[in-house]
Amino acid sequence: MDLVTNLAHGFGVALTLNNLLFCFIGCIIGTAIGVLPGIGPVATISLLLPITFGQPATTAIIMLAGIYYGAQYGGSTTAILLNLPGEVSSVVTTLEGYKMARNGRAGAALTIAAVGSFFAGTVATILVAASGPLLTQVALSFGPADYFSLMFLGLVISAVLAQGSVVKSIAMVVFGVSLGMVGTDVQTGQQRFTFGIPELSDGVGFVSIAMGMFGIAEIILNLERPEARSVMSGKVGSLMMTREEVRRSIPSVLRGTAVGSILGILPGGGAALSSFGSYMMERKLSKYRHQFGSGAIEGVAGPESANNAASQTSFIPLLTLGIPANAVMALMVGALIIQGIQPGPRMVEAQPDLFWGLIASMWIGNLMLLVINLPMVGMWVKLLAVPYRHMYPSIMIFCAIGVYSLQNNVFDVYQTVVFGIFGYLCSKLRLEGAPMLIGFVLGPMMEEHLRRAMLLSRGDPMVFIERPISATMLGIAAVALVAMLLPNIRKGKDAALAEGG
Amino acid sequence: MKLNTKDLISAAILIAFAVVGLWLNMDHTLGSARRMGPGYMPMLAFWLLLGLSVIVLVLGLFNGPDPIEKWTGPETLFLILGAAGGTAAGLVAAHMDGWVSSSWNPLGIGLFVGCMIPSIVKSWRPLFLVSAAFSLFGLVLEPLGLMVAIAASVILSAFADETHKPAGVAGLVVFLCVLCWAVFIYELDIRVPVWPVF
Repeated sequence: MDLVTNLAHGFGVALTLNNLLFCFIGCIIGTAIGVLPGIGPVATISLLLPITFGQPATTAIIMLAGIYYGAQYGGSTTAILLNLPGEVSSVVTTLEGYKMARNGRAGAALTIAAVGSFFAGTVATILVAASGPLLTQVALSFGPADYFSLMFLGLVISAVLAQGSVVKSIAMVVFGVSLGMVGTDVQTGQQRFTFGIPELSDGVGFVSIAMGMFGIAEIILNLERPEARSVMSGKVGSLMMTREEVRRSIPSVLRGTAVGSILGILPGGGAALSSFGSYMMERKLSKYRHQFGSGAIEGVAGPESANNAASQTSFIPLLTLGIPANAVMALMVGALIIQGIQPGPRMVEAQPDLFWGLIASMWIGNLMLLVINLPMVGMWVKLLAVPYRHMYPSIMIFCAIGVYSLQNNVFDVYQTVVFGIFGYLCSKLRLEGAPMLIGFVLGPMMEEHLRRAMLLSRGDPMVFIERPISATMLGIAAVALVAMLLPNIRKGKDAALAEGG
Repeated sequence: MKLNTKDLISAAILIAFAVVGLWLNMDHTLGSARRMGPGYMPMLAFWLLLGLSVIVLVLGLFNGPDPIEKWTGPETLFLILGAAGGTAAGLVAAHMDGWVSSSWNPLGIGLFVGCMIPSIVKSWRPLFLVSAAFSLFGLVLEPLGLMVAIAASVILSAFADETHKPAGVAGLVVFLCVLCWAVFIYELDIRVPVWPVF
């Protein structure tokens, strides 16, 4: 079996001391920011991007991935114990989890959240490993036109699934694409929109955008809100689950894993959407749905499994097609490109260490998280005693040093300030940052494929409809757009996202 | 008519961006659909952005009301003063001799002054003090080194949150200096001046 040898190779890579260490660091940081409200995986990963550049690409990605799925574990802890979602993806966990804690079953809720996540993580890891080479084979037959349409589809879906107005989200995607045009034109070497600033000839700083819009803007918004932090009153209680609870959770974990795995692959999907999707499903399908609202374990088991599964399957489009499914994956693309690796279908072949090492590290990381989280819950909750007034200057300083160290140039620092203010303005105007970041990352690639496709077709735009793969992608994109115009579906989505945070 | 203020302002910003982009793009060769020049894709993107923002604008006339938080008199006044003061400071700095006009210092000075002026109004402090502290970090880092930069920007940003106490801020400065030295200088060995050079 190819898969087995490949996975064995992956474990060989992931089990080297350095990679294990960074996987562990990633998981620890992920859990910490998962517990702490006010800083999410997007901000943290953009914060730590510069730090990883000194490491080999594989190690860097292993650590950054650990932060992302680690945050899904950590987010559930405070959601259950304090009714305080550390991450958006844990918002629905508060609904049943906190009730369980009030009923004295906090320990059981934490256990099922961690064990369910571990199970889902294992399944998702296998899924990534199995689908990776398959999808890669498919993707290798893609022509430039197909690629363009695929990216177009990715952008449309990420905008459609974003919160709020679809038109505004699409406008933000296009805004991101336009920002991506700044810099040297690859084919002619002409400077575009650089105003003669040498620092802009490589394009607007990706890390500056991410840090400004997600790090600095986030700090400012948190500072404006009054701090609301409760202290844990009840006890965690026994971590052991009763036999009854185990029996009830199993179908929910399975369903959550399935929902999360599927929604994670969708562009624009990811952890938050899938945990909500799973919660809705449990409320409809569970045998104990009448208990929802009074601490039903299904309402913890399903969503927590789903968000972890999704955080891992969202790597599939990135690793096989080079297309980021959400803002975190857009950051991963940025990290890879800065490391000199062009994400795309050739990555599995060209970078087997990275691909299989990352997959193996995901499973190892999940195992680590199980240990990090369950016995040490008390320690993580204590982390909440750190007041935000001590956190925000630290985040700020780390951002500043990180962004400076990219090119040892203060221009990047000032660029970040500008994007911080812009990000604050965007969030006040309900303009979404995530679609913009994805557009920014995909824009230059789309331009390249568009130019190549049109050159090959001798300037005939029909090529996008004549090629079956491309036509299918554009068709799906059109359906997604039309669906959003139908009032019923749109209302459903708005309600879903409003409740899901 | 139910005006959606947020959408209208968003649309205005995006339209302005698209129009400026299209105007700047006139410098670039368009080429043909078959052989696209450097200006082709930006043209498509900006026209699309313009079209979408016009849709946002039109929809915004009806799907409201969604008012934004009203700025008070002082808030507006100091915001305008900040924009003017920042631009002026940056321009003056650029035309002076020595340190203030070298490399990106005029930009940093402009940003710093521009952010400090609105910080006089209390409700602007989270936004502009954090931004000012960030700019200050950039200004101070190369001439005075990392430690001074950390201390200066932490102390300045501390004023953005009223619950800070002097002792806590001092502790935070020491903690961050040690931590950043350990992580960035000792571990990662980044090339940055650490201490002031005289």
